[in-house]
Amino acid sequence: MATKKIEAPTPASPESKSQSVNGSKAMPAHTGAKSGQPPVSKNPHGIPDWRLEQLPFHIESEWGDGEYRYKIVGDTSAPVPPLRPSKYLGKEQTIELFRYMIVNRRMEAALESMYKQSLVIGDLYQSLGQEACSVAAAYALDKDDWLGPMIRNQGSMIVKGYQPRATMMQYMGKGDSPTKGRDSGSHYGDPKTLNVVAPISHLGDSIGVLAGVALGARLQGKHVACLGYIGDGGQSTGPTYEGFNFAAVQHLGVVLVVEHNSWAYSTPVELQFACKDLADRAIGYGVPGVIVDGTDANQVYDAAHEAVQRAHRGEGASIIEAKFMRMKSHAMHDPAQYVPAKVKEYWKRRDPIARMEQYLKEAGWMTEAQIAEMHAEVERFINEERAVAEAAPMPGPEDAGTDVYFDNAVDIPVKYGEVRVKNANKNRKLSESSAPGHYK
Amino acid sequence: MATVTYLEAIRQAIWEEMERDSRVFVMGEDVGVYGGAFKVTEGFIHKFGKERVVDTPISEMAIASAAYGASLTGMRPVGEFQFMDFISSAHSQIVQILAKSNWRWGAPAPLVLRGPSGGGVSGGPFHSQNPEMFYVHTPGLKVIAPATARDAKGLMKSAIRDNNPVLFFEHKFLYRRVKEELPLEDYTVEIGKARVHREGRHLSVITYASMVYVAQEAADILQKEGIELEILDLRTLLPLDRDAIRATVEKTNRTIVLHEDTKTGGIAGEIAAIINEEAFDSLDAPIVRITAMDAPVPFSPPLEKAFLPKVEDVVREARHLLKY
Ligand SMILES: Cc1ncc(C[n+]2csc(CCOP(=O)(O)OP(=O)(O)O)c2C)c(N)n1
Ligand SMILES: [Mg+2]
Repeated sequence: MATKKIEAPTPASPESKSQSVNGSKAMPAHTGAKSGQPPVSKNPHGIPDWRLEQLPFHIESEWGDGEYRYKIVGDTSAPVPPLRPSKYLGKEQTIELFRYMIVNRRMEAALESMYKQSLVIGDLYQSLGQEACSVAAAYALDKDDWLGPMIRNQGSMIVKGYQPRATMMQYMGKGDSPTKGRDSGSHYGDPKTLNVVAPISHLGDSIGVLAGVALGARLQGKHVACLGYIGDGGQSTGPTYEGFNFAAVQHLGVVLVVEHNSWAYSTPVELQFACKDLADRAIGYGVPGVIVDGTDANQVYDAAHEAVQRAHRGEGASIIEAKFMRMKSHAMHDPAQYVPAKVKEYWKRRDPIARMEQYLKEAGWMTEAQIAEMHAEVERFINEERAVAEAAPMPGPEDAGTDVYFDNAVDIPVKYGEVRVKNANKNRKLSESSAPGHYK
Repeated sequence: MATVTYLEAIRQAIWEEMERDSRVFVMGEDVGVYGGAFKVTEGFIHKFGKERVVDTPISEMAIASAAYGASLTGMRPVGEFQFMDFISSAHSQIVQILAKSNWRWGAPAPLVLRGPSGGGVSGGPFHSQNPEMFYVHTPGLKVIAPATARDAKGLMKSAIRDNNPVLFFEHKFLYRRVKEELPLEDYTVEIGKARVHREGRHLSVITYASMVYVAQEAADILQKEGIELEILDLRTLLPLDRDAIRATVEKTNRTIVLHEDTKTGGIAGEIAAIINEEAFDSLDAPIVRITAMDAPVPFSPPLEKAFLPKVEDVVREARHLLKY
């Protein structure tokens, strides 16, 4: 680490403000709970790394007792650093964001209990240990901005305005679920008011969609931020490259949060890509990239906020690599025995909610008792949501094959305004093509 | 009335729709200053601006998914694939994202993906294919393959005005070979309606795109023998016009299904099944399929000629069927 260059922290721009999509007031730039920002280092390729610690180990496969398994190389005993103080989040916002993280976690705990009672149809995907990343990144979006979640970003959908019952009903295949039981889990969205692109299973496919949303909005004179997530595994796909390269070359405001949670199903990152930091990809795309600690909601929020503001200024796309750990297995069927135990122990001590609680207490923003009350209040809320979701009816057979096509009699309005172009020769008439075309 | 080619008809349709509706814009490879590999968008960038004539990287997945993303904001994109062969690079985006969109999450996707398909120009195995059946097999899409300039223009306008994802397979062999008088005023052709290209009493040839002209040549030859072919041009492959298929079979009682696409899994099988369901009692003879070989499209002219369905095939099978 001694060879790393130290960079001065980026000063908060005076006009920067963050607005919660849920309508909390715009806040002025804030110096966080503690004054002063710890220095930001750079990785060997010059990518800013906001983390306050480096991962001191990696995974290798080993041959022993006639079997292959994964082992840890390095030391996992390092103490947990504090959160990096946020440049932008004040007390109220931090507490609101913290609550979303608790909602995220307790909703998934409820889902796990519903799964065990056979109320969930199919499998269940969880984001334990990843709540800071889902929630804080989405918290940086305005109402007009778009979200492109992946299967584990159920928390981000709550930040964007959905209630936990939506995800619960989706998992139960209920008729009142956002997709009327047609698709499962976090596979739902809303193009009209909440601006959430429904995830599809095919990893990476949403990124080009988000680029297109930004393109459509820009044609209508509006620079929106379109924030999407992709996993350390999902980023290996072709559509990830095509979609993000298109966003980069067109300077579209796509904010790609690469969730480096160390595993893709059973595959460790060591078998997924050859570089050390996925944020390095930003150099190839020609966009800014940054590395953050995915268990530190402040880092995630600040990086997302800066990328979202950049998108709003029409300056284009950004990559944020968040490093952390998938603390549950891929899905409920998977006992994840392939993960060395020490990896989980290391990250368990870096629990994003516990770290945020510590931060809030040290800042004097919440007492132990207030935190306990918030957990209890969220627990009651989740129980109510669960009751509503469980009571909802199953779909009728008539919903299986309807809505395959949309009605042509309905006009689909533009979302942001009249289409405008800068330079165009409006009086030009179409003349017959004289140039030679491909093939005779 | 003015005489225009199939290619000009498509150019006019997109141009006029872009003039009429500012939500319409085009995107694709080389579509801007160059005007596209086949010149469909020649001059468009100067008229409509670079924001509405978007040159993309060589990224079919991005063309399909970004066109879709833009459609979510109420835009009506027309994406070009330089050759329809390259639609396979965007297959996942089309069948997974676009086709399921309205059904799955109530997000209508008013967009058109278009480009040149088909053989007869020695384009070889990667520039001559007819990949339409992958998409006819995908609920949620509409699939169009016109044969005439009039239909190309009217159907393109309908496709752009449609609130669903429409795949528009132009036929590159017809681009500059087909010339017709077209009305000067604005008109559309309804999606999902077949057209009787030629009336006849003895035998129906159900076909589409460039094979309409193969059927027509065969009909001219058979006419001299007193055999009247009825040619039904499907025009839209999804949704298929079941009524028109039934009507022609009920009229002639004998059917050839002719297409340039390969045989196994081609639309002829589907049409035979529809006839079985809708007009079985009207048949006086078995349904005959005339199609390309079950092989990739070859490059060299003698090979491509052997591969494609020919006028002689239609004449021979028609004579045979009439004796049945
Ligand atoms: C294109 C594609 N191939 C395979 C899958 C099956 N699959 C679903 S999730 C997953 C692992 C994803 O790992 P990662 O992107 O790291 O996300 P994480 O599960 O860690 O959040 C796989 C292989 C898929 N959904 N899409
Ligand atoms: Mg992963």
